[in-house]
Amino acid sequence: MRISSSYFSQRLASDYLRKQSDLSVTQGQLASGKKINRPSDDPAVSVVNSSLKQASSQFTQYERNSSFAEARLAIEETTLASVSNVLVRMKELALAVNNDTLSQNDNLAYLTEVKQQFAELLDYSNMTDANGDYLFAGNNVGSRPFVGKKDISYQGDDGIKDVQIGSGRTVASGDSGTDIFLRIRNGSNGLAISASDTNTGTGRIKSSTVFDKQVYQKHEYSVDFTSSSTYDVIDTTNGSVILSGQSYTPGTQIKFAGIETSISGSPQTGDSFSVKPSSNQDLFSTVNNFIDLLSNEPSSDAEKAQRKQKLDSFLRDLGQAFEHINSKRSAVGTRLVYIDNSRDENLSIKFQIDTTVSGFEDLDYAEAVTRMQSQLTSLEALQRSFSRIEGMNLFNLL
Amino acid sequence: MPNILNTGISGLLASQRALATTSHNIVNANTDGFSRQRVNFVSRPAEISAVGYFGRGVQTTSIDRIQDDFVQTRLIATTSEQSRVSTYHEMIGRIDTMLAEQNSGLASNQANFFNAVQDLNTNPTSVGAKQSLINSGANLADRYNGLQAQFDALQTETNNRIHTTVADINSLAENIASLNNTIVRAGGIKGEKVPSDLLDQRDKQIAELAERISVTTIEQQNGSISVVVGKGLTMVANDKILELSEIADPTQPEKTQITLDGPQGPRIISDQLTGGALGGLLDFRREALDQSMNDLGRLATILADKFNEQHVQGITTAGDFGDNFFSQPNIIPSSSRNNTGTANVSVSLTDSTALTTSDYKLQYDGSNYTLSRLSDDTTFTGTGPFSVDGLTIDITGAASSGDSFLIRPTRKAAREFGMNISNINDIALASPIRSISPVSNLGTGEISPPTVVDSTNTALTNSVEIVFDDPTSTYSVVDTSTSTTLASGVTYQKGDDISFQGWKVQIFAEPDPGDKFIVEFNANGIGDNSNGQLLSDLQNALLVDGTSNLLDGYGSFISRVGSSTRQAKINDDSMTALLQEAEESRASVSGVNLDEEAISLTRYQQSYQASAQVISAAENLFQTLLGAVNR
Repeated sequence: MRISSSYFSQRLASDYLRKQSDLSVTQGQLASGKKINRPSDDPAVSVVNSSLKQASSQFTQYERNSSFAEARLAIEETTLASVSNVLVRMKELALAVNNDTLSQNDNLAYLTEVKQQFAELLDYSNMTDANGDYLFAGNNVGSRPFVGKKDISYQGDDGIKDVQIGSGRTVASGDSGTDIFLRIRNGSNGLAISASDTNTGTGRIKSSTVFDKQVYQKHEYSVDFTSSSTYDVIDTTNGSVILSGQSYTPGTQIKFAGIETSISGSPQTGDSFSVKPSSNQDLFSTVNNFIDLLSNEPSSDAEKAQRKQKLDSFLRDLGQAFEHINSKRSAVGTRLVYIDNSRDENLSIKFQIDTTVSGFEDLDYAEAVTRMQSQLTSLEALQRSFSRIEGMNLFNLL
Repeated sequence: MPNILNTGISGLLASQRALATTSHNIVNANTDGFSRQRVNFVSRPAEISAVGYFGRGVQTTSIDRIQDDFVQTRLIATTSEQSRVSTYHEMIGRIDTMLAEQNSGLASNQANFFNAVQDLNTNPTSVGAKQSLINSGANLADRYNGLQAQFDALQTETNNRIHTTVADINSLAENIASLNNTIVRAGGIKGEKVPSDLLDQRDKQIAELAERISVTTIEQQNGSISVVVGKGLTMVANDKILELSEIADPTQPEKTQITLDGPQGPRIISDQLTGGALGGLLDFRREALDQSMNDLGRLATILADKFNEQHVQGITTAGDFGDNFFSQPNIIPSSSRNNTGTANVSVSLTDSTALTTSDYKLQYDGSNYTLSRLSDDTTFTGTGPFSVDGLTIDITGAASSGDSFLIRPTRKAAREFGMNISNINDIALASPIRSISPVSNLGTGEISPPTVVDSTNTALTNSVEIVFDDPTSTYSVVDTSTSTTLASGVTYQKGDDISFQGWKVQIFAEPDPGDKFIVEFNANGIGDNSNGQLLSDLQNALLVDGTSNLLDGYGSFISRVGSSTRQAKINDDSMTALLQEAEESRASVSGVNLDEEAISLTRYQQSYQASAQVISAAENLFQTLLGAVNR
């Protein structure tokens, strides 16, 4: 083939430029450390990459969310533990008060301590988190949820804030004040018993149970003494008389409408005892009951019996509250464990994603350096051959 | 007997001519488009004598231009195609670079935006988290606007390049026409005397024209060349040319179109102009640029539409319903400048997840409208309104036959995408309603948080009580705000949807008779993130075509551009190789080889010297004769 002198040089120049441009691509990769610098470098991978990067960034976000939820639940857990401690102390006090030989001074001391415990409880219920948001206000986090001095009212709502801690995984980052402090069942075994404040005898009603769930109707009942030895049982919900003119023997079981109870002591004519289904009683009312009973020193036997009766009720309500707070506390603990597990899983998924992304886009330096070496060699060969060939010209010999 | 002197002189003249041509070749070795020339000799007719024929010397018959029509045609075709693919590659490469994540930052900004939503969900009352959501929303809008601005700049650049290219095409055509004229007057290509250098010049002009548009040449009898460009458009015939001009597109003024003056005024012929840089630019604009702007715009439209749709369902800390979070891009159809009717077309978005990236054309034929989806030429015929691909197209007023409208639902969205709210107090993170289970309830029944089904229901935020009857197998529903009984004696099924007045809830477990549940306005719910959670869910919702989430939608857009660029690069590389080969073929035939010319130079120099010797010999003979006579 004929070679045109000028085309020969042109061709050489364009070859040279191409090799230089290849070299500059390699150099660019070495400088950025990435083998993919624009979508066309590998369209399929660059798409997968951007999804993976977003996924990775989502997992980073889940980690942040988890830390937040963890911190908030940790505060709640500590607060509930403190509340639980207060209740334990309260129980000790109640048992001490149960002692018949209580001096007036002792009584006063106990009263002071219980009032202080009450204030402490109120503080815990109005606890705030790191942002200054009230822990137990539901979603109304900006205003103090439990207000009042003695009769406490709740200003929050039932809202619970869910936080996303994984893909498709949320965790409640708290509990509403309603759930923790208000929605506590009183009494025991689903029944709340009490003696009327106007009773004049020393009769006391003991703990009651539902022995026949089929018959039990969740109605309210009252046991009315028509004399010191006879009583009637009235369904106060519908006003019907269930038992009448029953003779009373202290301490024997009384059964009606699927309920089993017993009364001891010596009730007087007109005394009455009530048995109701358990209802929700807030923790502050429960403690207030204790404060009320400590505030009134009993003098007569009847008053002493009243006090015992109320103390019994209080202990039962306190027991319920203690169990309630601790079950909430263990639920919080479960959530913390859940967050912990999900965190571990998130981290390992994120690590896998990051590894994949790195495999896709990070440069293999060894390969790139080798490539650059071979490109340099070929460029050098081109330079040398050019100078040799250009020197070969017949005109030089003429 | 021949004259030796004359023979010698003929040799001198022939060698001189050959030397002239050789030196012409040598000095033009680096002239673009030059074809090497060769001198042809024949021996002069011999003289007859008694002993036979005596030669009478040499004569120059012609100076040939060494050239191969086939090679030249291939070179022209390859030049056009290479120039087209290389221009296309260069332009689409710009989009490719623009969309590289380190440059565009769209994907990371979008991830940041949704992360900010989640940050706020975990800290609904944090002023910092609110501000950061507003900021990252603004950053995201900024990225969309920025990319769109770059697309706009590319559009302008494309127009400018079309403008210069068209001017070049016109002036090249002008040059070819005038060379045609000169060549015809110089005697054309027939006969002995070929104006080689003029032909080289004309070929060079044609090659330059081919770089700008596809060219076919037809050689005429008189030596002129007719030039046909694009799809059969005769631009040059003899010394006449048809001049191309430009106008702004009648329906899309931001686009330059190319026209040809005809009897009915200028006629748009852009579609007929193929190949060359101009073809590359037009292809790029049609296939890559328009498509990319629509792709980007669709993502902006979907994000704005869906985020707004959810945001207005929530309430702010002040208890007001949310406003649009992003500004909602408008779809404004453009009517052709040639329309004569009074019809007005309005387009509204009804379902952004059904949006396509296509443009639509609406045409009136005197009785019916035809709506065509330009991506696949699907047509819908009727009198309107049309409901197509998530759009509702309403027509008011009367159109004249032949009127047309262009609807580009997503074209401007990325430009108009922006923040609609800027105050942190306008973020609507809370649900407008909440459910309450009063502590007086004795049963174990629980109520779920309410879900807003229809935020436009005027009674949505009324207080509603769900009260269980005795027995609890049924319940009744009362709106206590208006004291209306909404339903009574409804059978209770655990976990069933209970839907009233734009919301729904579920009740679980065992309520007691008389237990009630309340759904009411979410007063003071400043810590509520219910609506925020739904906003955050949009990140992974399948919103694009109903099959992929926003990021994957963006990913497939990038991948389309990436693949096209890659394909364009492959085409460019292979066409460049083909062009190189075509140039090499031409160079091999017509190019000057200096070594070859050096040999010719020596050869003709020697022959010149030898011819001179012949003359000197003839003179010696003559002197010898004279000496003999004088003696």
